[in-house]
This record gives sequence, structure tokens and C-alpha cells, in this order.
Amino acid sequence: MRVQTPNGFTTDNSGKRIVVDPLTRIEGHLRVEVNLDADNVICNAVSSGTMWRGIETILRGRDPRDAWAFTERICGVCTGTHALTSVRAVENALGITIPENANSIRNIMQLCLQVHDHLVHFYHLHALDWVDVFSALKADPKATSRLAQSVSPWPRSSPGYFKDLQIRLTKFFDSGQLGPFKNAYWGHPAYKLSPEANLMAVTHYSEALDFQKEIVKIHAVYGGKNPHPNWLVGGVPCAINVDGNGAIGAINMERLNLVSSIIDRSIEFVEQVYLPDIELIGSFYRGWLYGCGLSGRSVMSYGDVPENANDYSTKSLRVPRGVILNGNLREVLPVDHGDPDQIQEFVAHSWYKYPDEFRGLHPWDGITEPNFELGANFKGTRTDIKELDEGGKYSWIKAPRWRGNAVEVGPLARYIIGYAQDKAEFKEPAERLLKALKLPVTALFSTLGRTAARALECQWAAHQMRHFQDKLVAHIKAGDTATADVSKWNPESWPMEAKGYGFTEAPRGALGHWIKIKDRKIDNYQCVVPTTWNGSPRDPKGNIGAFEASLIGTPMADPGKPLEILRTIHSFDPCLACSTHVMSPDGQELASVTVR
Amino acid sequence: MSGKTAQVLNVLSSVGVAGKDRSADRDVVYVYEMPVRVWHWVNAAAIMVLAITGCFIGTAVPTMPGEASDNFFFGYIRFAHFSAGYVLAVGFLLRIYCAMMGNPHAKQIFYVPIWRRCFWDELWQTIRWYALLAVRSDKCAGHNPAAQLMMFSMFTLTTAFMIVTGFALYAQGSGQESWQFGLFGWIFGVLPNSQDVHTLHHLGLWVIVTFVLIHVYAAIREDIMSRRSISAIISGERDLRD
Amino acid sequence: MGEATETFYSVIRRQGITRRNFLKFCSLTAASLGLSPLAANDIAIALETKPRVPVIWMHGLECTCCSESFIRSAHPLVKDAVLSMISLDYDDTIMAAAGHQAEAILTETRAKYKDRYVLAIEGNPPLNEDGMFCIDGGKPFVEKLRSMAEDSMTIIAWGSCASWGCVQAARPNPTQAMPIDKVITNKPIIKVPGCPPIAEVMTAIVTFITTFGKLPELDRQGRPKMFYSQRIHDKCYRRSHFDAGQFVEEWDDESARKGYCLYKMGCKGPTTYNACSAVRWNGGVSFPIQSGHGCFGCSEDGFWDKGSFYDRLTTIKQFGIEANADQIGRAAAGAVGLAVAAHAAVTAAKRLTRKREGVVQEKRSKVQS
Repeated sequence: MRVQTPNGFTTDNSGKRIVVDPLTRIEGHLRVEVNLDADNVICNAVSSGTMWRGIETILRGRDPRDAWAFTERICGVCTGTHALTSVRAVENALGITIPENANSIRNIMQLCLQVHDHLVHFYHLHALDWVDVFSALKADPKATSRLAQSVSPWPRSSPGYFKDLQIRLTKFFDSGQLGPFKNAYWGHPAYKLSPEANLMAVTHYSEALDFQKEIVKIHAVYGGKNPHPNWLVGGVPCAINVDGNGAIGAINMERLNLVSSIIDRSIEFVEQVYLPDIELIGSFYRGWLYGCGLSGRSVMSYGDVPENANDYSTKSLRVPRGVILNGNLREVLPVDHGDPDQIQEFVAHSWYKYPDEFRGLHPWDGITEPNFELGANFKGTRTDIKELDEGGKYSWIKAPRWRGNAVEVGPLARYIIGYAQDKAEFKEPAERLLKALKLPVTALFSTLGRTAARALECQWAAHQMRHFQDKLVAHIKAGDTATADVSKWNPESWPMEAKGYGFTEAPRGALGHWIKIKDRKIDNYQCVVPTTWNGSPRDPKGNIGAFEASLIGTPMADPGKPLEILRTIHSFDPCLACSTHVMSPDGQELASVTVR
Repeated sequence: MSGKTAQVLNVLSSVGVAGKDRSADRDVVYVYEMPVRVWHWVNAAAIMVLAITGCFIGTAVPTMPGEASDNFFFGYIRFAHFSAGYVLAVGFLLRIYCAMMGNPHAKQIFYVPIWRRCFWDELWQTIRWYALLAVRSDKCAGHNPAAQLMMFSMFTLTTAFMIVTGFALYAQGSGQESWQFGLFGWIFGVLPNSQDVHTLHHLGLWVIVTFVLIHVYAAIREDIMSRRSISAIISGERDLRD
Repeated sequence: MGEATETFYSVIRRQGITRRNFLKFCSLTAASLGLSPLAANDIAIALETKPRVPVIWMHGLECTCCSESFIRSAHPLVKDAVLSMISLDYDDTIMAAAGHQAEAILTETRAKYKDRYVLAIEGNPPLNEDGMFCIDGGKPFVEKLRSMAEDSMTIIAWGSCASWGCVQAARPNPTQAMPIDKVITNKPIIKVPGCPPIAEVMTAIVTFITTFGKLPELDRQGRPKMFYSQRIHDKCYRRSHFDAGQFVEEWDDESARKGYCLYKMGCKGPTTYNACSAVRWNGGVSFPIQSGHGCFGCSEDGFWDKGSFYDRLTTIKQFGIEANADQIGRAAAGAVGLAVAAHAAVTAAKRLTRKREGVVQEKRSKVQS
């Protein structure tokens, strides 16, 4: 049946149905089903979040100062970003301000996550959609070395270096135990890289695996550990003492130097390995510009990385903020998290129950009552689903909408908004890359564009870390060593009722937390996360979400091997544990949840 | 001398523990033997130390000035707690020994004769006496039934619980190869998160404090009302005259 | 020997260890295991030729922090572990295959390596809604877990989710998320709790199994003794401040800047069994206490439900009241104290009146007599 969606896509679920479940190399559990037309072009897409944990239900009645730790456990991949959003929400609700140094340290930690997450996402979750590991075995190490030296000054590029890795890889494949490379799509016609480019990329896969563990040492310095560093309502837990008695037990010169050296190394790695790789891979895939989806129409960013502590105005935020609707790049609309008409969540096609399923609810009044009920036309049984019915409920993800519009969020959205706002730090690098690849600006609206924007942002974030680290040092130099404001630490100092919100731009996109506090305990907590936006199912009006939109129109070379689906879905860096969440209404019990 | 007292004395002399001439002359029963009396006061002192140091351990002390290596204040508090804990535990063992070897009064705190009808009758009378409804309680050589019930539930059981949890917590420091862990480590099988053991141990402290309040009050009151309580735990003899 | 395939031997040779030293390592291993010197040869042959142990790594309800932690391992590097020490045949987070190609690996492993593969579980299965709060391949995750557990050699329960239940199992546990040992009862389960566990602890446990060919010794609660037999507190570098009585009283105060003990800020180091204070995190850079925040006991059972992380005395939640031991105790002692005072007053009053009556009566009786 052909359907025209209100947001401008045509779906047709009459052709052959392909199911990909589990969709691997993501965080959490995701299922994708598509229909193919006679030419094996995707003409309908259904994405279903297949897990639900109920963190927000669990948060009710707890101390708001603890909320960051609970929400941080929503996701261990974008670790820390939920915690930061949570402390901001609590501070917003209770009117707590943080010292300038705490702002710098929080920014450094958030940017560190950005750099780490983008790097790991590209090399370890995404690269194998572009890179054929098997083909690397056939490469000529000398030619690989020449190729590597032609694109980057990175010193690890001798023929011997590539040869060693090739030998090791050959042995590994010869052992017959292929580990994570088993049963994959090697030799698939959608792989375009030359054997040499493949070998270089595989080598960098391995180097990035070694290097990523260095980046997060910044989290270890300021937050004690990674994954899941520690945060604090009112500031940061680490105290600064560079020149006094007992400095050894605080952030001192040695700690600052450690962070500083990691920042330098990160900038170096991103600029000499990650970006050249993107450029090289992009040059092979210039002709594969599928996956535009919503990116060419509606995108959103909350903005993040405040230059000044406690100032979340568009001016202070280094990451662009705003919404672009229907491809109108000339107008960037303002976002207000407190406006009940802007951000709303719908559940008509999600496994939840609303009193009125045609209406959306603002997160402060959010309801999340699970209701696992399959559409009339699904195939299989309740506990063995063969095919979902997108006409009914089909996902644990809700459908958030901005003024009723489905929007895409993430690095590409941020770059498009930055581009539209004429911000040089976003516009220029994007144009440089496009020029190098000899592609028009519209090429950004694609799977490749998403992957490229992530790399550009990684570079931007690495430099911003340097900026805030320098700022931190400058403040310490000026005699300001405060890292926490404890004037409202004691719950006795809080009002009996308060509500607030916090937002960040997580590696995957716009992230918001909404909190209501009553009697000094959490009364209601709601998270609307990037993958909820991107991976959302249809809303009551039939608007499709970013994942689904991006798949439509993509041809598949071999329907039995869903490489193209993986490639496009991975370009969003899905995080399912984040997206599938829950909150029950004030005082209402989760009626459908019973112990069986 | 009332008939009841004579009966009691008869019973006591027949088992051969209180058959002392002088007490027989003076209507006085020898209730608390020397070891029990010594135990009582040592135990009281240990509890005092344990309660005070326990509170400090639960909430910590104000910060000490100077270098860490110059101070061992919190360490000493914990040391005092552990030492007193050992005294309490060893005392408790000795007290059990006394109960086995000593007179019937020495056994009283270790059981409640709920199977005896007369226990319930007397308990009722005692409650009426404490509720100021009855004029005089029946005289008891040892603990009256209400006291026995309280002793057993609030003191004996709690102390046993405190010893078990206390040693289990001590074993956290002394390690899994220590005898403390070998004997008491099973508690962590029941409560896997030792934070719970800390919490319950701390709650136990308050049960003991509450017990002490009631116990001291009841003893002083009894002493004023009948002059036979505090003196008894000092001399061991209880005067049963009116 | 062992040149064609990647084996433990080829890894350590590449790390610059000579054959001579390798053989020495084998004989030391044999000795420490109480085996005869002849066994050293067997160990050497095994390490040189034995196929890597297949590891199936599955994800239930979790946040992937355990996988993220695993790839942070500095020694061994995770690439060496995955390429040369184990055969990580299935891990949805990093594997190249997806969909039915991925599912096929599970079937194949079950048949080919029956009772010889290690099943590593990250996260846990929810039992509510027929298990459909976590769907994997269209079916409840718990089903997949049960079927893969059946033919496994042993199960590693990664992190606090698999070991205890962790955050999704915190009150009121809306999905009925269950730790692995509540669902699988007939296989040895090694619990490696922590949220997440330390990277090097994770790789050490895996390589212990592949190196020594046996399971690590476990404590009463099923955790490897080698990393979980001591508390954070026992090895904490701030312990001297604890003993001295020097505490942080408030965030960012003078004491915090001097690195004093975080006991008063609710640090759960004294009740948390883990290796953080000794092994530390991220290649030994730091651990929570070193960076100024107390430990909140993330490797302990039910640590989410012990009240605020910043409370020293944890909350007791019973009969609808919520208070800590001191509040309950003070209330009880206070109430009893009041009762005692009241009782004393009434007794005194009664005694006085009775005395007067008594005097009167005595006089009367004298008159009568």
C-alpha cells in the first residue's frame, strides 16, 4: 500500500520484507524492517526499539542530588552526558549556580566524551560498513604506505608497519576463528575501497582502539573513572589545589599537565588520522549519497558548551542552537524547553498507553505506562515476532515532535544549523571538506554527510577542550580555585516544590531532562534523548522518524546482506538504552506491570 | 515473712544454691552471684564505651588539625570500640558459662518461660503493677516476669546480634582468612551488601540504648519503692522484707 | 609451531618475550599450580597450539558500560585479547555481522563448541511482560540467554546488572529485571560486579581462564577472590586521614583541597569490595575517591536502594517511613525517655498520696486497737 506521509515521504509496504534483528554495532537493541520494490530499492522502513528499562520510574521518590548517577546509567557509551544533563536540570529547578571553574571542567568532560565517542563510533561501530577487512589482506603494504603518506603526516605509515599488521590479520583469518569479523559481508558489492585503503583503515581501526582509552583519562582525572565518571550538583567533585599543602590530593599541576597532553594528542590523532581517513573513504563513496532522510528538511539542536557558567543563552552556547523546518535554511527557529507546545511526545505507535493517544504530552507532564500490544497484521506470536505491523504499536521508543514536526538531531543537524547561522567555525571546515571531495553542499544531507559531520565535530571538540583547559588554567592563575557552590547543597534550603530542565548536545544529538521536585524528592523525571528523536516510530499523523526516512530510496545490492541498512542506521550512532525510557504519571501505578 | 517468700526460699535451698544461713535469717535471698555481678558492671562499662564510640564511628568526628601521620584519633576511637567489643563478647561467653553453672537466677536472662501458665499470670500482675493499677507486685527474688521478658528480648538477643554483626564487620578489616570471617562471615551471605550490616548494627546500638534507659529507670524506681534492686547487683543479696 | 595461527605464544613473543622466558613462565605456572615439572611442557604446548576459547558476549537490559570498559583495557590491550587470546565470536556491540548472519553464529557455536565456550553476559533479562521488555531477534532475551547457557562451559556475569540487577532492578524494578544467577542455576557463574567493572579486572579474569585453564577461585558471593576480597577502604590512599580523623566536611572546602577522607560525604569505600583503590581506573590514572567524590559502592548488591549516595548512615525504608538508624534510634530512645519520665512522675505522685493515706490509715488502726 502506497502512503504519502505528511512530512513528505512515500512509503509502500507491498514488496518483499527484510528483517534485521539484532541490528549490531549499536548500543542496545534495535530491529529494522524494510520493504523492497522490484529493483531492490527500499520503499518502506520500520525501526523498532526493542528494550525498555524504566529508569525514570525508578527515579521517583529519590534524592534529586543522586539523579545524575541513575541517569548516567541510561547509557555507558555516551557516558556522562546524561549525568551532566541531570545536574543541570536539578540546578535549574533549584536555582543553584556553579563556579566558573566547574563550568570549564564540565565542558572539558563533555567535549572529551564527544571526541572519544565520535572516534569510537566511526572506527569501531561504523567503519566496517565502509571498510572490507578481508580485502585488506590483498593490499600491497608499500602502496598502502605511499597512500597513507600522501594523505597525512601521521608518522606510523612505513611499509613495514602496514605489513606487520597485514601478517597478523592474515594469521588471524587463517586460524579459522574469525571472532567479531565472522559471518560478515566481506566481498559485498557495496564495498568500494581499494585494498590499500582498506588496509590503511583497518590499521587505523586497531590504532584507534589503542588510542581511545587514552582520551578518557581526562574523565578519570576530573571524574575519577570512565565509563561513568562522577558529577556533582552545584559544581564538580574534584577540588583544585595547585600550590598548597596537600596539593597531591587534588587537581594539581601534574593532573593539569596530564589532561593537557591528552588534549594535544587527541587533536593530533583526529587531524592526522580520523579526518584524512574520512576524506579518503569519502572519495571512494562520492557516488553513494543516499540516506538524506530528514536531514535535508527538519533538524534541531539544543546547543551546548556554555562559554560562561550558568548562562545557557544562545549567545553563550558554543554549539549552535535552534530548529530548521522543511529545508528552510534561512530561518533558524528558537527552542524553549519550558514551552508546553514545543516539545511533545506521542505514543500512538509505541508500546505505551496515553489517555488520549492522538495528543502529545510535554515532558513535565509525561506519562509512560507500558502497553505491549502488537498491531493486527503482525506475523508470528507475541513472544516470537517474525514481522511487525507498523499500522499498530511497534516500538519501545516514543515519538517526540517539535511543534508536531519530526526532526533529525546529531552532529549533522548541529552543522547544518551552524552553517545556516553562518558560524565560521562550523561552515568553513564543512566547505573545505566538500571542496576536497568535489561535492556540492547538498551532499551533506546524506549518510556520508552524517559521518563526515561527526568527524568535523570531533576536531572542533578537541580544539574546544584546549580552549576550556586554557581557560581553567587562566582562572587558577587569577586566584580562582572554586569548583563547587554548596550554599544550596542542604535540602533544607530548597523550596517545597520546584521544576526545571537541563539540556546538552550529546554525541548523538539533542538531549533534555525534565524534573519536578516535591517535598525535596523527585516527583517526576523525564528524559527525551537523541535516539528517541532519530529512532522514533510514526506519530498519530503518520510522520515518519529520521531512521525510517533515511532508509527510503536506498538501493540494496544484495537483499540477503543488509550492508546498506547498517551503513545508514549506523551513521546516526543509535543508542537504544537511551531512547527507550519510561515515566509513569504523578502518583499513578504501573497498572500493566505485574509479576509473572 | 510471707508464705510466698518461704516457698521461694524452700525451692532455692532445695537446689542448693541460695541456702545461706545469714540470708535465711534476714529474709534475704542471695540472687546475684559474684561472677554475675562483676560481669554486670564490666558489661555496663563496655556498653558505655561501645555506644559512645559507636556513635562517633557512625557520624565521624570533627576534622583534626595537622598531618595525618601525627594523628590517630579516629583510629583510637575505633580501637576503643573494638576492645570494648571484645570485652563484651568474652563477657557474654562467661555469662553463658555462669548461666550453666550458677544459680537459677543466672539463667533468667537467657529464656522466657512462655510455656508456663504462671509466667503469664505473673506477667499480667507485674504489668498492672507497673501501670500503677495494682498496689504491690509479687515479690521476686530475681527478675520479675516483665523484666525477664525485656532482658531476654532487648538485651540478650540484641547483644548476641551485636556480637555476630560486630565480628562480621570486624572481619571486613581483618580479612577473609581471619577467624572472625570464618565464624561470622556467613552474615554476608544473608546480607550481601555489608552496608546493610552496618545499618542494622547501628540500629542495634539504639535498641541497647533504649534498653539501658528502661533498665536504669526500672532499677532506680524499684530501689526507691522497695530498696532491693541496686543494692542487689552490688551485694548480690535481695532483701525480700516488706 | 603455532606460527600459522594467533596463539598466546605468538602474542607474548611479539611483546618481546624470548622463548627461554616463555618456557620459564610455563614451568613457574606449573609449579604454582602444584603440578609436576613435566606438566610445564604440556602448558607450553597448550599455549602454543590451543585454539582460542570461544566467547559469546550477549547483552540484556544494560547500558553497554561494561563493553566500553572492556575496550579500555591497557594490559592486555583489548586488540590483543580479541585477536589472540580469546575468540570473541559474538558480541552485538562490535561484531561486523547483523541480523540472521549474527544469529547463525550462536547456533553454530552451540553445536561446534558444546561445553567449551564461555558465555559472557552484560546486562540482565527482564521477566515481566513475558520477557518482552528486552527483545532480541523477535524473541524475549531471556530465552536466548537460557538456550546459550545450556551448552556453555561457564558464565561470566559482567557488571552489577548481570551480578546483582543494578539500576533497572532498583526499586520498584518495573521490568522485573533479574540477575543471571536467578535465571541460570545449573552453571558456574563468575560475578564481576561494578558499574562498570575495571577494564583490567575484566581482561584479567578472561585471560586467567584462558591462561590457567581453570576458573578463578570465588568468594561466598561468587566473585573472584583475586579482585573482590578486599574493600576500597582497605587499600585507600586516604586511609591515613580516616584513621587520623581528618574529613572533608563540605564540597570544595579546605579539607577537600588537601585530599582528606570522604567518609562524611557518604563514601561507601568501607563497605565496597572492589579493586578500585589498588588497580585504579583507566590505566591507573585515578579512581573516584582520588578525584574527590566518594565511592558509592557500585559493585555492591542493591547499592541503588540504600538512600542518598551522600548519606553516611544509609536509609532504612520500612513500613512507609524513611529514616536512617540514628533518626529511628533517637526517636525510639526519646519516646522511651519521655515515657520513663512520665512514669516516674506518676509513680512519685501516687507514692506521695499513698503515703499520706498510709499515715492516716495507720493512725486509724492505732485508734481502733
